Amino acid sequence: MVKTLAKEEVNFSELIDRPWITIVWDDPVNLMNYVTHVLIKLFGFSKEKAHELMMQVHNEGRAVVSTGTREEMERDVQRLHEHGLWATLQRDDKI
Amino acid sequence: MSNFEKVGSGYSLDLTLDEAQILINLVEQLLELLGEGDFFHHYDSHNLDDPLAQLLAMPAEIVTPDDPVLLRLLPNAYADPEAASDFRRYTEPQLRGSKQRNLRLVREQLTVLVDENHGGVIEDLDADIWLKAINDLRIALSIRLEITEDSFETFELLPDEDPQKPVYAVYFWLGWLQENLLGLLL
Repeated sequence: MVKTLAKEEVNFSELIDRPWITIVWDDPVNLMNYVTHVLIKLFGFSKEKAHELMMQVHNEGRAVVSTGTREEMERDVQRLHEHGLWATLQRDDKI
Repeated sequence: MSNFEKVGSGYSLDLTLDEAQILINLVEQLLELLGEGDFFHHYDSHNLDDPLAQLLAMPAEIVTPDDPVLLRLLPNAYADPEAASDFRRYTEPQLRGSKQRNLRLVREQLTVLVDENHGGVIEDLDADIWLKAINDLRIALSIRLEITEDSFETFELLPDEDPQKPVYAVYFWLGWLQENLLGLLL
């Protein structure tokens, strides 16, 4: 038995337009406070949210810091690289 | 002991002459590695058959850096080599230029102290530019020293006569300096 979704339940524009993510990777050099500072500065996160993402990078080795179009994620990766954070972008494989 | 301070709406840094000289030497070494002057200095520019590339002085290809320090400072944005190379072609000159500009500004402010041959206070420094420049210096040293999470213990166990000991000391001092400035910002 296969359950099908009503057409309205599938957000096609979300699948087509916003399937890219920016990942920040852990490294043994960047200071925890520096990573938090950069995340607040570049993405406007609250101190708490930035700290939480920084801890995720530290403990799990990586964290998704932004989601959007490919062009938006390329811009985010470039700004992270300007600040010396190790970042990459890719298609969100959860979709 | 060197120290950043918040002065009114700006920031200052108090350095001894030794500290200023160490910093300016590191800044100049990194500028040299990044290629001073013309941003396209390091790029393979013989393949300029494409008229648009000629017009915009856009290099037809920018090779991924061999030097591990450059590869960490100018990293691949994609795991896929082809996508990474394409992205690099359009963005690396800008990224390299941004790092060079930060380092040049820091050098300019350090030059005053070093030329006058005494320590002192650098007034009105741009905290954001100094943070990024110090971070890039730390990254560069970390690659050469092969820094890991356990490197502070390694450093402490090194005998004083080990030639790497002073390099580790500078690396950890830069981390302390950066933490000091961050403490004023966060």
